[in-house]
Amino acid sequence: MALKMQSILSARFDKENSYHIDTYRADGGYETYLETIKGEKGTPEELVALVKESGLKGRGGAGFSTGMKWSFLPKGTDKPIYLCVNGDESEPGTFKDRQIVEFDPHQLVEGVGITCYAIGAHTAYIYLRCEFALGIRRVKDAIRQAYEAGFFGKDIQGTGFDLDVHVHIGGGAYICGEETSLLNSIEGVRPYPRNKPPFPAVEGLFGDPTIINNVETIANIPHIVKNGAEWYSGFGHPEDPGVRLWCVSGHVNNPGVFEIETGFSLQELIDGPCGGMKNGKKLKAVIPGGSSSKVLMPDEVAQVTMDTPTIRGFDSSLGSAGIIVLDEDTDMVEAVRNLMKFYAHESCGQCTPCREGTPWIVKILNRLCTGKGRQEDMDLLLDLASNIEGRTVCALADGACWPLTSIVKKFRHEFEAKVAAATPVGAS
Amino acid sequence: MIKLTIDGREVEVEPGTTVLEAASKLGIEVPHYCYHPDIGIDGNCRMCLCEVNGNTNKLAIGCKFPVGEGMDVKTASDAVVKARKGVLEFLLINHPLDCTICDQAGECPLQDYAYRFGPGDSRFREPKRKGPKTVEFSDKVMFDTERCILCTRCTRYFEVVRDSRPIGVENMGGASTITLGPNGPITDPYQMNIIDICPVGALTSRDFRFKQRVWFMDFADTICPGCERGCNITAGAYQGKLLRFTPRRNPEVNKSWMCDDGRLSYKTYNLDERVRGATVAGESVAMDDALDKVVELVGDGSGVAILASTVDTCEELAAIGEFAKLSNIEHIWHGEKSWEGDDFLKLPDATPNTAGAKALGFTNVPDEAPALRGLIVAGDVGVPSRLLESLDFLVLQTPVAGALGEAAVVVLPGRTALEKKGSWMNHDGRRQAVKPALDPGADVPADWEIWRDLASAEWTSFAELLALANASLPEVAAIGTDEYSTIVGPNEQAQHLVIQAAKS
Repeated sequence: MALKMQSILSARFDKENSYHIDTYRADGGYETYLETIKGEKGTPEELVALVKESGLKGRGGAGFSTGMKWSFLPKGTDKPIYLCVNGDESEPGTFKDRQIVEFDPHQLVEGVGITCYAIGAHTAYIYLRCEFALGIRRVKDAIRQAYEAGFFGKDIQGTGFDLDVHVHIGGGAYICGEETSLLNSIEGVRPYPRNKPPFPAVEGLFGDPTIINNVETIANIPHIVKNGAEWYSGFGHPEDPGVRLWCVSGHVNNPGVFEIETGFSLQELIDGPCGGMKNGKKLKAVIPGGSSSKVLMPDEVAQVTMDTPTIRGFDSSLGSAGIIVLDEDTDMVEAVRNLMKFYAHESCGQCTPCREGTPWIVKILNRLCTGKGRQEDMDLLLDLASNIEGRTVCALADGACWPLTSIVKKFRHEFEAKVAAATPVGAS
Repeated sequence: MIKLTIDGREVEVEPGTTVLEAASKLGIEVPHYCYHPDIGIDGNCRMCLCEVNGNTNKLAIGCKFPVGEGMDVKTASDAVVKARKGVLEFLLINHPLDCTICDQAGECPLQDYAYRFGPGDSRFREPKRKGPKTVEFSDKVMFDTERCILCTRCTRYFEVVRDSRPIGVENMGGASTITLGPNGPITDPYQMNIIDICPVGALTSRDFRFKQRVWFMDFADTICPGCERGCNITAGAYQGKLLRFTPRRNPEVNKSWMCDDGRLSYKTYNLDERVRGATVAGESVAMDDALDKVVELVGDGSGVAILASTVDTCEELAAIGEFAKLSNIEHIWHGEKSWEGDDFLKLPDATPNTAGAKALGFTNVPDEAPALRGLIVAGDVGVPSRLLESLDFLVLQTPVAGALGEAAVVVLPGRTALEKKGSWMNHDGRRQAVKPALDPGADVPADWEIWRDLASAEWTSFAELLALANASLPEVAAIGTDEYSTIVGPNEQAQHLVIQAAKS
């Protein structure tokens, strides 16, 4: 499939005052929202069905069908329903939500309005990581402008629809991007992930039914409701349709955020829009979906297309669309040590395997990188990962294990070289 | 009802039952640390991982996972065994392994599970994480950060049971530690319960620590004599000296808890000086001679009263009642003792058997007591001074005679609450078995034997006395039935192992 760039979510990113409501409304912004709350875009049930049909999947990393998630809300509940927007974008290599909150916050805010109508929520929280200083300001401004325009509050535009939108600022922990940690963070308690079931759709924020969606996911909603499910499902790979914001970092000449339909060749992205490898170096590996995905080798990069069914065939995942390109000079043991230091630092400490296991892995990698590696370390790393993966409350531990195991397996020779060069114990 | 299979055995349980509970119904132990039946589920330790319907990629936590119709659960499959070994290896890598000087040793689920389910070895070759080992959580509780396995039972105890948060978790990941809150040392009068539920030696009693290895101690399952709640306890002693009380789980009385005052009251039962043998007018005499003297003093029983302690067991009180009847003693009264109760377990009546005494016909001392010729004081009881005014004789039967001892014509020995056998009836009318933790020796016979001999009663054995007491009392409540003993926290289980070891 050819690489097709798009300008839907990113249409206003480069415009002057792109974040102001006037700029947004000049492009027809909020019209879809107003039509929606007047019932002109269908009943809430029809909107949920529409989003399901569009094939939109969660853009936070897990890639679960958005419409399906919405449909898990209990029918006819007398409890309040909440929408929480996950803007705790912290996955290493991922910086797409930041573009939205900084440069087109109204797109997100309109998406929040439409989504709340569709799921029956009257309170929404937009959770933003504290490091998004500019984004927080812009989203808060956008919400204020939307209130001033009469889009939020009680009995909006005489429709009888009530909606209040709040911004909640995180304290700086990666774990708060895990959706149930995020709920605990909003509730003001220690943000340990919750055991599932119950899932948040049934028992979420304050114990009430809650939908948690990523910033990019919600930003897609106005476009889908405006243009229809077929319009959206016509983009990209038929089994994983849509347009995504791809974040490319690492050893390429032109890193950045690219809006591309799914199903394109990863090689083509590197060679084309990214301007090829920096300094003419050879490609060594690509981490394709944020740091919590399994690494791809150059021959895999040459074959893979960026859609879920294909990349799954290469035993990896699209994750949060954070593509990290590594050139031939990269020390893969150092690279994975850097990643594992991140996970060990960000482990919340709730579950034994992750709390104890990730720092242990870092200690082993520290030894390997300082001339104290042992022959048994590689197998030990793999076995420790097998005792962590799938044994914890949340997916942070799984996400820590995937880059580790794939790098140890695919670059074992680099680990062995470190062991061979190690100073024998006792020698000086 | 839901039918499922656990380790190839079928079991039927109520909907909403967890895998761990269903397994315990079959007598299958699913090891766990963070789950506690009286605090609830948390799911952090990952010790109770089970394989459900063959899914080995994602194991389920038995403590939380609800049963489903036709579910196939494995609690010891290859994947589960490996996962448990993994968890125990992780728990031990930074654990100081200072069992040699740890008070929890011998009743430590970390030791026990490591022994039963652990890998037996560690692949950890790195320096261990170090931390403070003597953090004073209060004047009662000491915290060792290195031993802690972060199960958060202690923080959740305060949240769930005490509705307070004096301690919490600080920092993230491997640096996580339990820490005191901003209000300083814990002041909760039920704080020492966290010591028992701590599955490791991280929380230790500043009263008990470093006093004795538990495997050298003797344990008795009995009842706290502190108040009429009748909290079920285990009394631990070494060479005839009590060293601690710990609560014993009884969901209908005290769950897994007891108050700190009751817990620390063990000290009052270690007597430095006590009545041994009998005295008449200050002279040591043979027990039979002393009893003859009492009978002589009582005479026809007119103008004589018995004031009995409500620490005395139902059986002792029945024996006293029998003596009173046979001797035509006019008045049988019971003593009173109170302290400040609270809204949790502690009740104002600071004795364990007032309900039993009342059921056996003992009454409060009347405000306007009749003029007495003689008073017989049975057991450890405060005597109102107005009763002493016109006395011809005073008989004391008590563990400690105190100031009254000099005024008494006859002094007979008595056993303390921790030396008695029988039953107490609590405020709810629940009659609970009392067992001796200490044996005071032959010169302090059981109280009921003294009353039997005084009464020259027809019955002779304890069994006969029991039948006598049973005639006017409810049955002794069953404790340690399957229902209570199958789902117990690891601490309790370990304790039972210790008790068995101590007895064998």
